[in-house]
Amino acid sequence: MSNRLVFWLVAIVAAVVVAANTFIIVDQREQVVVVRLGDPVRTINDKGTEAGLNMKAPFVENIIRFDRRNIALEAAQEEVITSLQERLVVDAFIRYRISEPRQFYNTLRDEQIAADRIERLVNSSLRQVLGSATAREIISGRRAQLMQQAKVDVARRAKASSLGIEVIDLRIRRADLPAQNREAVFRRMATSRQQEAARVRAVGEQQKREIIAGADKEVAITLSTARQTAGQVTGEGDAQRTRIFAQSYGRDASFAAFFRSMQAYEQSFADGQTTMVLSPDSAFFKYFQRGPSGR
Amino acid sequence: MFSGPGGVKPGALMLVGGGVVALWALSGFYIVQPSERGVVLTFGSYSRISGPGPNYRLPFPIERVEKVSVTSLRRTDVGGQAEGDAPKESLMLTGDEQIIDLDFSITWRVADPKAYLFSTRAPDEAIKAVAESAMREIVGKTPLQPIISTGRGQVQLQTADLMQRTLDSWRSGITIVEVQIRSANPPPEVVSAFREVNNAEQDAAGAINEANTYRNRVINEAKGDASKVLQASQGYREQTVRDAQGETARFNQIYAEYRRAPGVTRDRLYIESMERILARSNKVVIDAKGASAPIILPPDVFRSRVPVVAAPQIDARPPQAAGKAAQ
Repeated sequence: MSNRLVFWLVAIVAAVVVAANTFIIVDQREQVVVVRLGDPVRTINDKGTEAGLNMKAPFVENIIRFDRRNIALEAAQEEVITSLQERLVVDAFIRYRISEPRQFYNTLRDEQIAADRIERLVNSSLRQVLGSATAREIISGRRAQLMQQAKVDVARRAKASSLGIEVIDLRIRRADLPAQNREAVFRRMATSRQQEAARVRAVGEQQKREIIAGADKEVAITLSTARQTAGQVTGEGDAQRTRIFAQSYGRDASFAAFFRSMQAYEQSFADGQTTMVLSPDSAFFKYFQRGPSGR
Repeated sequence: MFSGPGGVKPGALMLVGGGVVALWALSGFYIVQPSERGVVLTFGSYSRISGPGPNYRLPFPIERVEKVSVTSLRRTDVGGQAEGDAPKESLMLTGDEQIIDLDFSITWRVADPKAYLFSTRAPDEAIKAVAESAMREIVGKTPLQPIISTGRGQVQLQTADLMQRTLDSWRSGITIVEVQIRSANPPPEVVSAFREVNNAEQDAAGAINEANTYRNRVINEAKGDASKVLQASQGYREQTVRDAQGETARFNQIYAEYRRAPGVTRDRLYIESMERILARSNKVVIDAKGASAPIILPPDVFRSRVPVVAAPQIDARPPQAAGKAAQ
């Protein structure tokens, strides 16, 4: 009874141990390299189709799990000298995937070592690719092409060194001027803005003067037009007056001259300031001198 | 099986065992929130996606479920959050080789939970790197002025688009909802120079306003003056004509009477006029006939008899009309 119990217990424990060494659960996100006595013999789920419950030979085979997702790696900041000897500080990152886990295991062993190696690869590619471009091209003109070029270069060299990775993307995160060059840019920006400010002021002043000159012109035209019309109207009045008098006085020019002269005399001497020295011979004194008969 | 120690009945043992199995089986129930999707893995292998509500999976260790929030919007800030500025992230070069200080945020959500879980490691962290890379690429193609003024929307759209293309090329399962520029300014070192341009614009606008004010004033004044001149001339015309008509009417009347008795009237008019003139003047009557030496008059004779008392001017024309006619 007791012996039988011990036997069963041992048997169960042995079965559990063997099972635990045989069955392996491979996650959707993983791939596995099966190592038999130090030799990577096969892989599981490197194509993404074998996730789930898997088996291996117990004890003689070990497994090493690798991520099969897209992995990020930030390259250390790198100072790049461009083709025009400008200096740029470049931050880049790479996204890669372990595509050949057996190669990856053979060449790099683990992700830590891989990170080191890939980072050096990225920096060296960037230096080379960006070194053949100008800062302007890197910053604006050809950034996308240059990133693509660096990506292809890293992929080629990774393949040549049998790293077992697929380069998914390589992107320049930042490409900036070093601090000392930045000052120069700030100065240039400031002076350009000052120029702009001066230009804006000058344009404002110009428009102001144009408006004032235009207004003065309009004033001159308005006033002179008014005087022109006024002259016309005044002339009409004078002309009508002349015509009216001519019609009226024309009937008897001699009487009109006499009548009008009388009016003019009265008007001229109306102020009473005149001292007249008269001769008794004048017409007015006809009776004064010669008596009632006037002869 | 074998009988348990201590004389426990096999029936009871079976009951306990059955209970444990039942509880184990029941542990497979789980609830997915409306904002979530459940991704079910069978021995680590993707099996299916479960929707919101109560769901069942085979109990551990056979099946597992990972829940992913799909409707909730997540936000990633670049270039300094509320806590403070991060110049390293926010200063970037523009297309016209200037430097801009730009902070922005990305709003994103998970569109494909399966891809989100299985294709990219640490996708949440990837967002920021991709965002920076994309924004700098777009800003690097755009001049500074539009970014700080009207071109902001364009930059946002282009960045979102570039981010989306990058993330799609990784099959990340992430959708960029929006890229929003929170602030885009010239760097602090040159802000005063930029402000100077604003001041200049204000000054220019002020100068133009001043000129327009002047313009409005002088033009309206000129119109008023012009109207005054015109009215005056019209007034003159009307007055001149009417005065002339008045005078000639009077003359005509007198002339009609004169024709009946010309001699008498002529004499009368002459004498009356002279009477009025001489009544108002100083007079010296000298009979110079036979005088051989110059006659010296005392200066008193030429002094006026102030005040002058004007005789009633029955025949006098209105002095005003006389003045106008003389013009």
